[in-house]
Amino acid sequence: MTTATRPAPSPAARPAARSPRPDPGHRSAIVLRWVFLAPTMLGIGLFVVLPILASLVLAFFRWDIITAPEFVGLRNFLDIAADETVRISFLNTTVFVIVAVSAQLAVAMLLAVLVQSRMPSWLRVFLRSTFFFPLVLSAASVSILMRYLFNESYGVINWLLSLVSIPAVPWLTSPQWAMVVVIAVYVWQNFGFSFLLFIGGLAAIPRDVYEASSIDGATGWRQFRNITLPLVSPTILVASVMAIISALQVFDQPYVLTRGGPGDATRTVVMVIYESAFRELEFGRASAIGLVLMVLIMLVTAAQFRLAKSFVFYQ
Amino acid sequence: MSTSTDVTRRALLAGAGVAGIAGTVAAWPRLTGADIPGRGEDALNILIMGNSTDAAGRQQIADGFMEEHPDIPVRIQAIQAADWADFFAKVLTMVAAGTEPDIVYTATEGAQLFAERLALPLDEYVLRDAEQMRDYFEDVHPSLIEAFLYKGSLYQLPLDFNAANMYLNLDVIERNGLEMPGEDWSRDDFTELLRGMQGDATPYFWTNRLFGGIVPWLYVNDTSFLVEERAPGGEELWSTFYPGETSRSGGYLWQQSNALDPRVHESFEYVRSLIEEGLAVRPEEGGGNALVGLFASGRIGSTPAGGYWVQGLAEGGMRPDQFDVQFFPRWRTQRHQFGAAGYAVMRTTKKADQAWEWIKFSSSKAAMELAFPTPATTPTRRSMVNDNFYTGTGPEHWSRFYETLDRFPTSGPIPAPPQQAAVETALIRNVSTALSGGSDGVARALENLDEDLRAVFEEEIA
Repeated sequence: MTTATRPAPSPAARPAARSPRPDPGHRSAIVLRWVFLAPTMLGIGLFVVLPILASLVLAFFRWDIITAPEFVGLRNFLDIAADETVRISFLNTTVFVIVAVSAQLAVAMLLAVLVQSRMPSWLRVFLRSTFFFPLVLSAASVSILMRYLFNESYGVINWLLSLVSIPAVPWLTSPQWAMVVVIAVYVWQNFGFSFLLFIGGLAAIPRDVYEASSIDGATGWRQFRNITLPLVSPTILVASVMAIISALQVFDQPYVLTRGGPGDATRTVVMVIYESAFRELEFGRASAIGLVLMVLIMLVTAAQFRLAKSFVFYQ
Repeated sequence: MSTSTDVTRRALLAGAGVAGIAGTVAAWPRLTGADIPGRGEDALNILIMGNSTDAAGRQQIADGFMEEHPDIPVRIQAIQAADWADFFAKVLTMVAAGTEPDIVYTATEGAQLFAERLALPLDEYVLRDAEQMRDYFEDVHPSLIEAFLYKGSLYQLPLDFNAANMYLNLDVIERNGLEMPGEDWSRDDFTELLRGMQGDATPYFWTNRLFGGIVPWLYVNDTSFLVEERAPGGEELWSTFYPGETSRSGGYLWQQSNALDPRVHESFEYVRSLIEEGLAVRPEEGGGNALVGLFASGRIGSTPAGGYWVQGLAEGGMRPDQFDVQFFPRWRTQRHQFGAAGYAVMRTTKKADQAWEWIKFSSSKAAMELAFPTPATTPTRRSMVNDNFYTGTGPEHWSRFYETLDRFPTSGPIPAPPQQAAVETALIRNVSTALSGGSDGVARALENLDEDLRAVFEEEIA
């Protein structure tokens, strides 16, 4: 029995035993919840879950689109394990992720700290927009442009170098330089997102912490190391997780800049997936590589969250 | 006093939901592609590689065809693609989706892929309408026809082609006090010519791909990276249209690697030495569109290309007297590489007879003149390759574009077996590796190429 002095429990909290008939309001709330969730769930189901399941199934088949799929068991996985190109592509992708993500986070953090420092507000707005701008450009367009800039024979970069008597560098046609250029172009285009996250993270740090540390004599690097980094560490975690996931799937830049060359010097895992599927019509093999990459991404992300416990500082 | 016009959040969200559903319903034709012009209509669906401008360009031919055949509506559909392999992949996805076209305009790169898996042989139609087709075959070089025969059957009628000739920049030649080489120039003459090109122009610029890359150098050295064989068959076609061509075959076959042939090594090593000496650039991958502007501005001394470049150079501002074309230099032979293109009828079509009518019409001189109004390619009909076609744009020796086939009758098509995409990927990758290092890298890269190619062909056998 309820009394006037006790607040009435919400329909959802009311024990079922006390209400023999289902509450129509409660039922309609549940229905409404599902109605609101349905479009998103439908989208995820159709465009994420279904392709993953299809890919999982396809990985055990040999299929060239034209003829009927043929069940081959684990052959695709055994083939890719023995495939030198696949091995090199995973190695390239690993190198790419380590260098590109480190550079991306470092550049983003450095510029975020600079932009958050004392400066006229119009300049801050200008710099924020400028640093974020490359991210909104199409990766393919940027890469085409960069391909011209870095061309060994007629690129602007080598022309500028020639002005100071530096001989032409085979940026895109030498195995030593091609990966450097691919990473540089990728970092230039993508650091803006991490930069934006860091701006938000830095803005959330209370000013009084810095003021207190100043009174204690801490300045510059010491403040950055002991205050900024710990307090922005949750943002670093998010930024690094997203940067690594994105870098593991890199395709546009190496594809347009070098087509994976010279040789296999810049061939990444997603490029091999694309080539297997859409050039060699080995959809089963492509699916198998895709699944391996998906598992790798999941493992790396899980490891990051696990490691985060020891370095992320939550206020 | 408050009014009752307040909208609750729930009502707003419900309204948004209803609007979303209504929008989806309204946009359904777009979402399903049902609003694409001609879809669902009983039209002969013709697929070409290109953009909507290219499709519009062919519309004139379609209009001409529909005037002649008012009972056969035609729809031209253009598919944009980075290269032929990309185009073929898109065609295959259309096949998988059940929206396959009736006819596809495809090049040598895909000729055997289509012949092996997708296209209908045309022999029956060609021989049935032999009298009507005689004019076409009399005007077209047999080498081009042989390139579209596969295991004894003809799958396409070539409408345009390009041989890998050598473009020479006369500005660069003049600037360096050099002379235009003769038609029978040798590989060594070529090297000397490059050595004479001083200044800021790159003596030899080339791209890493199946056409115009390493292959012309393999052909002139009387070899290839694949074992080239000929299939039997096609006798009726040859005896009907080319009675004098007794040694012609039922088409080319490439079924094994030849990457370890010493002459392949020799060709790679020669090109590598050009790069090492600074006479040639390391090959870039992909198409060579960027080259037009560079060549036109005098930054490139020489490059291999076909007749398709003439229009591009003219549009790039190059006058006909600023460049010329020469046959590829002789090594052990002067065999040239060429690629051609034509319409293939899909096996899945229910309109094979109508499709043949389209092919027949497209191969007529009137239709080909509409299709190729400018020298953006070389028409396969010899009678079209004339002064009129090149006036104002063509180099002095434009006739060499077609004469290549006459002067060097052993000239062969791009080596493109049904597994072309995988073969091309392997070639490009290993050419790139071979030429990006020292001399020892060539042998290693060719071993890898051999291994890759054997894997491609073994997979097919399996």
